[in-house]
Formats: sequence, structure tokens, C-alpha cells
Amino acid sequence: MSFLLVLAPLMPLAMCIALAWPSARAHVQKRLWAAPLPALIVALLVGHVPPLVADAGGLRLTLLLDLPGALLLGGAALLWSAAGLYARAYLGDQPRFAAWWLLTQSGSLGVFIAGDLGSFYLAFAVASLAGFGLVVQDGTAAAIRAGALYLLLAVLGEIALLFAFALLAVGAPGESIAIADVVPPLAASPGGAVTALLLVLGFGLKMGLVPLHVWLPVAHPAAPMPASAVLSGAIVKAGVIGLIRFLPEHGAPGGWGTALAVLGFLTAYWGVVAGLAQRNPKTVLAYSTVSQMGVIGAVLGMGIVLDIGASGLHAAFYALHHMLAKGALFLGVGVALATGPGARRWVLPLALLLALGFGGLPPTGGALAKAAVKDELGAGIAAWCAALSAFGSTLLMLHFVRRVMDAAAAEPEGRAPPGLLGPWLGLGTAALVLPWLLLPVVGADAGKIWSLAAVAPVLLGAALAWPWRRIADRVPVLPEGDLLVLARRGAAPREALGRAILRFETLFRPWPAAGLSLLAVVLGLLAAMAARPG
Amino acid sequence: MTATTPEGWLLVLALTLPAGAMLLAFVAGGRHAQRIALGALALWLVIAFAIALQVQRGGAPLAYLIGGWQPPLGMALRADGLSAAMLLTGAVVLLAVALFGRAPYATPRGAQETRAAYAYWCFLPALAASLAAAFLGGDLFNLFVALEMLTFTALALACLDGKPSQFKSELRYLLFALIGSVLYLLGAGLLYGAHGTLDIALLAGRTRADAPTLVAGALMTAGLIAKMALFPLHLWLPPAHAGAPAAASALLSGLVVKGAFVLLLRLWFWVLPAPVVLNGGTLLAALGAAAILIGSVVALRQERLKLLVAYSTVAQMGYLFLMFPLLAAGDAETASRAWLGGVLQAVSHALAKAAMFLGAGLIAASLGHDRVAALGGAARVMPITVIAFAMGGLSLMGLPPSGGFGAKWLLLRASVETGQWWWSLVILSGGLLTGGYVYRIVAAALAPPAPGCEARPVPRAQELCVLALALASILLGLVPLKDLGLVRVGAP
Repeated sequence: MSFLLVLAPLMPLAMCIALAWPSARAHVQKRLWAAPLPALIVALLVGHVPPLVADAGGLRLTLLLDLPGALLLGGAALLWSAAGLYARAYLGDQPRFAAWWLLTQSGSLGVFIAGDLGSFYLAFAVASLAGFGLVVQDGTAAAIRAGALYLLLAVLGEIALLFAFALLAVGAPGESIAIADVVPPLAASPGGAVTALLLVLGFGLKMGLVPLHVWLPVAHPAAPMPASAVLSGAIVKAGVIGLIRFLPEHGAPGGWGTALAVLGFLTAYWGVVAGLAQRNPKTVLAYSTVSQMGVIGAVLGMGIVLDIGASGLHAAFYALHHMLAKGALFLGVGVALATGPGARRWVLPLALLLALGFGGLPPTGGALAKAAVKDELGAGIAAWCAALSAFGSTLLMLHFVRRVMDAAAAEPEGRAPPGLLGPWLGLGTAALVLPWLLLPVVGADAGKIWSLAAVAPVLLGAALAWPWRRIADRVPVLPEGDLLVLARRGAAPREALGRAILRFETLFRPWPAAGLSLLAVVLGLLAAMAARPG
Repeated sequence: MTATTPEGWLLVLALTLPAGAMLLAFVAGGRHAQRIALGALALWLVIAFAIALQVQRGGAPLAYLIGGWQPPLGMALRADGLSAAMLLTGAVVLLAVALFGRAPYATPRGAQETRAAYAYWCFLPALAASLAAAFLGGDLFNLFVALEMLTFTALALACLDGKPSQFKSELRYLLFALIGSVLYLLGAGLLYGAHGTLDIALLAGRTRADAPTLVAGALMTAGLIAKMALFPLHLWLPPAHAGAPAAASALLSGLVVKGAFVLLLRLWFWVLPAPVVLNGGTLLAALGAAAILIGSVVALRQERLKLLVAYSTVAQMGYLFLMFPLLAAGDAETASRAWLGGVLQAVSHALAKAAMFLGAGLIAASLGHDRVAALGGAARVMPITVIAFAMGGLSLMGLPPSGGFGAKWLLLRASVETGQWWWSLVILSGGLLTGGYVYRIVAAALAPPAPGCEARPVPRAQELCVLALALASILLGLVPLKDLGLVRVGAP
């Protein structure tokens, strides 16, 4: 069975390589939906798949499937498959898009089963960097700007992770680079806080924790619809699995947990507030993703504070629901825009159901996701914070529904083709039903979803949505990627610094300067070599 | 005591085959010169591979005593893991560049041979012979001779087009290289006076941290880093490498500077005593760090593609110097990592940079200019070249699974292990800046063509040479660590 683990990332990769042959191109593009099937199958077989260990010349590579990994792998495979089907109808023949799509998918699926530093880093990097091709697909100036920002932050994240991984590898006993060996010593190591900070930086960038979230609201709206769905649904989850895998399950200092939880809730609220000031429905959705990832960060943080070993599994369940529902909502935006105003009301029920799920409306899958994280966010201040975030999410998602319904259609009498409708309906149904089927896995109590504490935030949010609808248009537009404005202000000093370094370098170009430097190097070397070691 | 090993004859062959081919090509000329050079370089690759295989299998260096005389009377050729790895790299790059040059330096049937073509096919095997001498030489004077041969063949290749602007920048190169040679020779003389031999293996046991050794070490090091264009002695490199024809730039940036690098390693880790290495290594690494940061920022701000790639060489050479303090300060395990990281960086940079210079040359030839701002449309006319260029860039950035990633990961780990974490910051920020300038070029090449831009298609065979080099630099990262153990054979 283990060979299936390898197939999960290799199948998309093989299809990507097959695109190089013109004769295979049409076949591959027609079957984009089939690429994630091995991943889906292997996710369903969880528990029967032993880890795969390969000794690659002194380097032990591990692929393994545990329960949190299987939840995310299965969800991601479903999303990639549905979005692949959708992309076929949405974009038609686009070999270049298919290549980026499959490459990103290979990394995105691989990251959930990688069991050592090497393969994790490789899969994470492939998913991150190849995502650039999806962002810039439309080729507009805005898309290319968004792509550049995406790439810059992705590389920054890679750098933080590389440093963190080096620290992990050095801190672990022996030569093993298996995650199971390098992570536990982290909790007790003296410099562990630096490593943890770098990890949160690297994975937080991918998840969109404030203030590292700026790329999400810029990149997601710029990408074509199916690409936004996988970016928001699957790619950001690479950060989630990263935090699940790399933060020690037990024994980490409570301070780390508190910091992560505070950061998470801050992100959750920030996403809501910034999203409410948006006009473009896709941007609203992107901010909602930011907010939801904040909740996951808070879950993992509180898991550390309360020392709950299973918080990774709970977070994965929460993320699974987000993956499916957010993917379906993005696909739904495309469906709505292809549908003329007359028929658009038929889009409303599913959109509304999925949207309110994020607030925790029972009996949607979202309510179960909230129930799954009750251990972490069910008591004390955290419960109040979580309720506030659920209220905000409801408000934000109703704002989104309204923006979608108001958005201008491509054609007044247009109807969405079945190629768009099918994947959307399928994924939306999965988001509502799958959490119920998988509930026994996390062992949450489904009875509580009808409690007043769970329902009140949704009702309150829904009640306030109407007044907000009236003033929303008077709120000044917040630029996409809010804090980016500050980064742009730094452009002038950066430019000055660059010019100063260039001027400094030109000082060394004339001959006299070169002669002097040569002399200085000889003397400096002599002095350094002769110095007694202190 | 050195003794000739059973396969020692391979070393002699590696040296004499290209030298003989050069002489033969010189006499035969015309179309024959091209055939002779290509055949010799292909054979040379086979020999380099055989040497690497023997060193890997035997786990011990190969040696050959010329005429059977023991040093210090006689001279020895030695091939340890470092030599074998560099020789193999050199052979791969040279063969790819030679194949790349088949189109621009062809002599059609019946046509008069051109000066450029004749020089190209004579000097390629000459460069191979000089590289072999520099990598296999076992004594400091022989290595000096090899270094001079390397400088002069490189110079001839750089001036291939015979443009006046080329002569000006290459003259700067020549002058600086000669100053470096004088310093090196001065130091070698001091060492000979103090210890009575220049054989590296013999010197290794004799040197102490005394005045002659220190002065000699400082002079020779300064000479060598001047030839490697380490910041702040880099003034000659960007114009010389950017001004040369594409094939020559690839060889200059990829291989020629690595000759001096191997010498520097021999000097520091075989000849100089350990405390000196520990103290001086930090200064070298500091200069390397400055090279990485300043070179990358300056590359980021270049308007011309070839100058940008040349400044990237200045920056990437800086990484090679980070291994010195790490190697000196770490325990055996860490030192071995730093050694492997440094050599891997040299190899992967040679492959990636050769690919990037050849790619830049193709782009410039097709568009008729190499202004970064006006590269639009390049990706449509020559997608393979642009992909290869980007792949070389990924390796320079140190993204997995490239060889550059392996190198930077090993250096990063070694720097954390020795507690010298500040070098990690340099390695990482260098990667970010590298990403910046690679992105600038790739994004510009992907942009739609400017109106009035006429890009000529380029020969597919040349594009494939570029792609092969870039692929090699990426695939290097997939070579299992066990096989990279080759580099550790005979390491200090």
C-alpha cells in the first residue's frame, strides 16, 4: 500500500511532465481532475498505509500518513479534483496553466504526507513557488504585480523555514532528519524560542497570519476562479500542516501557545474588519480566509497552553471544512458571475448555507468544525474570543453574499455551463456532508451544536447584517492588502539604500582604489593570521 | 611518501590528451581543428569520469610521480576528491560550451577559416589542459604555472571577437591577474626559502606559524583572491566577463575563477598551519559576506543582462569563502559538512553560471541588445533558453532540489553548529537578493514584446546545450549524499 503514498505527489508531477509532449497535451488537459485521485484513495485508506522510508544515500526520507494528514490530504484532493474539472470549463485549453496547476498540486499534496525535513521543505517550496504561475495566469498588470508580491513573500517564508530547519536539524540528537525525531527536543531546547518564531514566521506567511497576510487579499482576487479556490483552500493549508507538524505536541512553553493564540485571534478579527470594507466578492473571501486561518492559529495556540495533544487533529478537521467550503464559495463566485441577474437567485441557497457555515450555523459542516475545536476554544476568555470571531465571520460572509448577488454579470441572460455548475454543487455538498461523516474520527460531541452559545453569534451576526448592508457602501474602500500601504512607503528609503550601496561599490572600481585595497587585504590578512587566538 | 597508484596513468592522460589536442588542432587548423577539439573534449570527459570513479571506489587519492622521482626532487600529480570533482565539472562545462560554439565558430566546407574560429578550437583544449594542471598539480610552483596558463588561455578566449572595447576590459583583467601572480610567486619563493620544498604534501608537515610562513600565506592568498575577484578586488571581473563573447564568459565565470579557488584550498588547508587558518578564515569569510551582499545589490541594479550575470558571479564567489572559518572551527562532522558545502557550491555555481552566461548570450544575439528593461518577448522566441536561465537562477538562489540548495543547506547547518550564526543570515539574505535579480530577468523575458522588437530565432542545438547545463545544476541536488562523499576523499 505504501507505494500509493509516492503516487500522491508523483501523479500530478508525471502529468505535468507529460505536457512536454504535444501529442499528450490534450489528454492531460482533459483529465486534470484525475491527477489527485491517488491522493484521495490513499487518504481513504488511512490506518492501513504503513510509512514509507527510503534511504537515499545516507539521507533517510520518510512519507507517512497520520490522521490529521489524511484529513487534509483527502480534502485537498477533493478540492483539486473539483477545481480541475471546473478549470477545464472555465479556461479551456491552456497548456501553460495546466503545467503550473499540476506542479503546484504535486507540492500541495506532498506536503501533507512528508515525514522528514527534506521532503517537507521540497514539497512546501514547490507548492509555494509554483503557485506564482496560477496567480499571474491572467497576465494583467494587476496579476503580475500580485504575482511579484506573492513570490517575494513566498521566498521570505522559505528563508525563514530553511533557517528554522537548520536549527532543528542541529538541535536533534543524531543524524536523523525525520520530523518525529527533530521536533520533540525543540520544546526543551534553550534556543527553541527562536526556532519556534521562525517556524511561525514561515508557516504564518503561508496561512496569512497578521501582519504576514498581505499577499492573500492581493493574490486571490487576481488569480482565475479555480486557481483562487485552490490557493485559498489548499495552498494556505500547507502552513496549517506545518504548524501541526512542527510545534511540539507536548511540553512546549505555555508562552508560545499564548502568543500564537493572541496572534490568531488578532488575525481573525483583522480579517473580518478589513473584509467588511471590501467591494470585490473575491477579496471579501480572501479576507475571510485570513480570518479563518487566524482561528486555526488560535486553536493550535490554545492547544499548547492547555497541553492538548490532539489539537492538531482538531485543527485539521476545522481546516478540512474550510478547504471544502471556501473552495466551493470561490467556484460559486464564478458560477454567479456567469449567471444573469434573473436566474441568480438559484445560486443563493447554497451560497448562503456555505457562508453561514463559517459562523457555525447548525447543522452545516461549519457547526461541526466549531464543535471539533471545543476542547481548545470552549472555556474561559478563549470561548468569548471565539464567539466574537464567529459573530464577525457571519457578518463578513453575509456581506460577501450580498456583494456576489450585486456583482455585474458577464451577460444579462447568461447561464452557467454544466462544467461550472457540477464541480461547484459537488464541492458544496461535500462541505455540508463530509464533516458529518468524519465526525467520529475527531470524537466531537455533535449534540452541542444546537446550544445557545453556539447559535447566538450566528443570530446576532445575521441580525446586524441588514444594517451593515445599508452603510457598507459609505465605508471608505480599504486597499487590498491593507498594510501594504506601509510597505510602499518604505520604497523611497529602500531605493536610497540601493543607490548608496551602488555608489559605495563604484568607489572600488578605479585603479588607485584597487591597488590600495590589495595592499589593505595583504596587511589585513597578515594581521588576522598573526593574531593570537583570544 | 607518495607512490604512483595503479591508475595514476589516468592523471597523465588527463593532462596530456588536451595538450596534445591543442598542438594538433594548431597544426591542422580549419575544420579539422573543430573535430579534434570536440573529440578530445569528449574523451577528456570520459577520463575525468574514470578518475572520479576510481577515487570514489578506492576511497583514496590517485597519484603519479613523473619519471618515478620522489618529491622534493621530482614532481607529483595527485587527484583527491576535490580534484576529481572539479575535473569532472570542468569537463562537463567545457564539452557543453564546445558544443554550444559549433554554430558561431563553424568553418563551412571550402570556406577560409576565420581567426576567431581557429583560436576558439585551439584554446578550448588548451583551457582543458590548464584546468587539469591546476586541479591535479601537487606542488605550489606547478600550480603557479597552471594558473598562468589558465589566465592566458582565458584571455585569448575573452578577446575572441577582437573588438577594441574588449581589449580595454581584458587588459584590466590581464594586469590584475599578473599582479596576483606576482604576489603568489613572491609568497611561493618565501616558502621555498624557509622550507626547501614546494611540494604540498611535504610542506603540510613542516610549516609553523612563523614569520616567513605568515607573510607567504598572506601574499599568496591576496594574489589568489585577486584572481578570484573577491570583494574588494573585483573591479576587473564584471567588465571582463560581460565583455567577452558568450562562450568565453561561461568559461571565465564558471571555470577559470575556480582554478584559483582550488589553489586557495590547497594553500589554506594543506600548507598553512591550523591556528593561522582559524584566525585568517574569519577575515576571508567577512570579505565573502561583503561580496555576497554588495555584489547581489549591485547586480539587482544593473541595466545590462550580461553585467548583471557578471555581478552575480562576484556575489556567488563570496559563498565559497564562508567555508573557511566553518571548516577551521568545527569538529570533524561539521568540518566535513562545511567542506562538502563549499565544494558543492563551486561545482553547482560552475554549471549554473555557465548556463546563465550562455543563455544571456543567446538572448543578446536574438534581440540584438541585452538591456534588461527591453527583454520582452524573449520567452516567446526562445522558451527553452529562458527556462534554462531560470533554472540556473533557482540553483543560485539555493532552492530545492538544486545543487545550490545542497551547498547552502550544508553551509547553513555548519554555521549553526559552530555557533557562527551570523553567516547564516548572510547566506539567507543572499538567497533573497539573488531571487530578486533572477526574477527581474525572468519577468522581463516573460513580458510581451515591445512594439518594433524583432527577435531572431536561435539554433535549437545551442538552446539544448544551455538547458543541459542548467539541468545538470538542478540534478546535482538529487545526487545522493553518499555519492557526494567523493568530495571527502583526501579532504583535510
